[in-house]
Amino acid sequence: MGYVLDGQSFDGLLSQLSKEYLIYAPVRISGKGAYSDTDLVAYGQISSLDEIEYNEKSRFSPKELIYPITQTLFYFTEDEYKEPAVSQKSIIIFCRPCDVHAFRRLDEIFLKNGDFRDSYYEAIRRKTVFFILECAGSFENCFCVSMGTNRVEGYAALLRPGEGQVTCDVDEHFAPLFARYGKPAGMTPRFIEENSISVILPEEIDKNIFDHQMWQEYSSRCTACGRCTVSCPTCSCFTMQDIFYEDNPRCGERRRVWASCMVDGFTELAGGHGFRKDNGSRMRFKVMHKIYDFRKRFGYDMCVGCGRCDDVCPEYISFSGCVNKVSSLAGEVKKDD
Amino acid sequence: MTNPYRPFKAEILSVLPQTGIDFTFRLAADIKVESGQFVEVSLPGVGEAPISVSDFGPGWIEMTIRRVGKLTNVIHTLTPGGSLFIRGPYGKGFPVDRFTGRDLIIAAGGTGLAPVKSIVRRFYKNTAELKSLTLLAGFKSPSDVLFRDEINIWQSCINVQITVDGDDTGEWKGRVGLITKLISGLPKIDVQNTEVIIVGPPVMMKFASQEFFKKGIPEDRVWVSFERKMCCGLGKCGHCKIDDTYVCLEGPVFNYTAAAQLTD
Amino acid sequence: MDINTKKIIKNAYRVTKKRGVTALRIRVPGGRLDVGCLDVIKNIAETFGDGTVHITTRQGFEVPGIPMAKIPQVNEAVAPLLAGMESAIGVEIADLNHGYPAAGTRNVSACIGNSVCTFASYNTTDLARKIERLIYPNDFHVKIAVTGCPNDCIKAHMQDIGVIGMVLPVYDATRCIGCEACVKNCLKVSSGALNMSNYKVKRDHQRCLGCGECVLKCPTSAWTRGEKYYRLVIMGRTGKRNPRLARTFARWISEEAVLKITANMYGFIEKHIDRSLPKEHVGYIVDRAGLPVFREEALQGVGLGPLGRVEDYIPFGGYENR
Repeated sequence: MGYVLDGQSFDGLLSQLSKEYLIYAPVRISGKGAYSDTDLVAYGQISSLDEIEYNEKSRFSPKELIYPITQTLFYFTEDEYKEPAVSQKSIIIFCRPCDVHAFRRLDEIFLKNGDFRDSYYEAIRRKTVFFILECAGSFENCFCVSMGTNRVEGYAALLRPGEGQVTCDVDEHFAPLFARYGKPAGMTPRFIEENSISVILPEEIDKNIFDHQMWQEYSSRCTACGRCTVSCPTCSCFTMQDIFYEDNPRCGERRRVWASCMVDGFTELAGGHGFRKDNGSRMRFKVMHKIYDFRKRFGYDMCVGCGRCDDVCPEYISFSGCVNKVSSLAGEVKKDD
Repeated sequence: MTNPYRPFKAEILSVLPQTGIDFTFRLAADIKVESGQFVEVSLPGVGEAPISVSDFGPGWIEMTIRRVGKLTNVIHTLTPGGSLFIRGPYGKGFPVDRFTGRDLIIAAGGTGLAPVKSIVRRFYKNTAELKSLTLLAGFKSPSDVLFRDEINIWQSCINVQITVDGDDTGEWKGRVGLITKLISGLPKIDVQNTEVIIVGPPVMMKFASQEFFKKGIPEDRVWVSFERKMCCGLGKCGHCKIDDTYVCLEGPVFNYTAAAQLTD
Repeated sequence: MDINTKKIIKNAYRVTKKRGVTALRIRVPGGRLDVGCLDVIKNIAETFGDGTVHITTRQGFEVPGIPMAKIPQVNEAVAPLLAGMESAIGVEIADLNHGYPAAGTRNVSACIGNSVCTFASYNTTDLARKIERLIYPNDFHVKIAVTGCPNDCIKAHMQDIGVIGMVLPVYDATRCIGCEACVKNCLKVSSGALNMSNYKVKRDHQRCLGCGECVLKCPTSAWTRGEKYYRLVIMGRTGKRNPRLARTFARWISEEAVLKITANMYGFIEKHIDRSLPKEHVGYIVDRAGLPVFREEALQGVGLGPLGRVEDYIPFGGYENR
């Protein structure tokens, strides 16, 4: 059902929704960019339409809202493990079609992989509703069309912000509320049908590609900073950390914190032995996960083509460029066979 | 929703020093374990780590823990009556039933003996279950030899050969040399009827398996166990993933044919 | 030829090796100029000079080979530069057609700053222009430079007043993944002010230079930029008697405090300069009057804020040539 809401009505709608939901959207945080006098576009709570940064891609994905960077799993005394309380409120996340697809990938890991469901992820995930921000155009480095994540179906709401108003396509659950604040309007969702970057996905990957010299270039270029993985909406790895409180060493927390396969120590065992010491093999590991081995396990590719990895790489390494290199090699290796 | 990360408290029943840095802890734990599986062991405020179960029985499990870091340093200060927190067991163990009626050769390097100890203990007396059992174990030096008392007992029932890389004591009367030498020195193997288990550091597993292949053992009769960083044991944390394989779910025990496909 | 050399020197000309020939120094506050000014400079060099310009160490231009007799015409030709680079930024020039009104206080130089450089903590061009507005024209011999970060690319340590950009790093522990990129980098390239404790980062404010490297290295924006601050290094100098690097006088102070201290320094010079000498550099005046006196007078009316810190004693080094 289509509705159009002016700014004031939309803010009224947000105010109404905020009684039941915590509402998050990409926002512009002034002066918080890494370089001085630059802004950071990242997820934050909003209460008005103006706060939504619609014209720029967020540096970080919305995954941190459901899967926090630092998450306490247990508070403990020496003898007792106590789980932290979870907020009772549900969550609305304003995000792009690719980001919704990314949550499906995270669901795969946290809710399906193995015999156990991750209760911490699930507790927030099942209370989450996505409001899709329709993309007016493809951003730099985006390749969602190649990944098939440009379109999204079955959303709660899809919004097209325009001059002083928002046109929305809303599901049955939210329709009465939108009807209260807006006017009926025709709304046919539009999705990005073309990006300036396209990626060719390799169908099969020969083992030879794992050892191919193409990865050596990344050994010298990549600085293993991990920006690509923390900005990635589908990266899901974490490390456990136990801490005790400095002012009360008998009490502490067990936390999980995002981990990056690009950063030193990811594979390091107690005692010091580790795998993938050179950055080129880490690049290979990451790229293969996103476009090959996740598919072998779950039937579709992990990467959603948001291009944030390319946006944030300080060394100007292109993930999409790397995928295309792998694909052309995969073709060559196949021919050689 | 059950919380798969919640550990339970397990009382330490005994602590047996094996070497200066390897202690065997017996815990009261009513869990069903397969040989080769691991548990996540933790101490609140200190940390959590995957540790292979070296032996188990009704109401108890044993782990032989090497002091290599923050958590294991603290664990080594604990005494009977104290407790550890554990969750698990996790992973796939050795296909023990498959070994019935066959010649089983176990090659263990260093602490790699721990995950196979329960297999030796199960079969050394019940030789009727197996056609034969051979245990080859290599350690860095005489002071690193694990399960000395058990080895003495096993030796009376099965073929046990121990070697050390070097003798720093001057009192070692046993073999000196790499475990690969023990493998190449084995008498003719009935390759059609033999299963091999190799557990140890990556380099040891690589060269030991090659030695068995030279003997004519097919790759699919060789079983190895991987050690990787694991923070969850549940297929979530991602540290142990190699290609599309989660070592915590599909391993840590792998058939060699599968293991050979895994490029870290 | 009868030329008042004292007068032309104050007019930014100099006595050169060749009798009757002078050279003109053109100020470029902050070292940034509209390229249109280059046409004017080119024209002066071609019309009155020898067709060359020298780029000075203070980011100005020096036009050599100008006959002293042409000074009045040159001064008229300079007017667009005074208008474009001085009046335009708010410097009061009484008469644009008489050339540079003073040359004692040198051009305020600046590194490229945060309009381009990733390390710079502030817009150095803007600050250089603010300082120029505050202190020019002035006959006192003072050298000031501003630099975006402690890398000090402009060599603020060679100035009477060097302004070094600082930023207060703000840490959100919940965003930190413990990659230690900031800790390792701070130890490697900066002051080693960071260390890990309980998997999170602790910052030692006493050691922190405010360089912002931690912010630049952080993959998750756990470190972000807080307030802008400045460090003031003072009384660095070259020269024959006692060359030395400037030392820190104040740190974690605001831009307002930087400007006020700079203005106060001119008051200090006014009060203590030895007028029997043809000129006296401010560094030697401070040496003579003593740092406590300078400190007291420089800080008059200066709000240091909660983080501001001023040195009580400065162990100036350098070496004596007599």
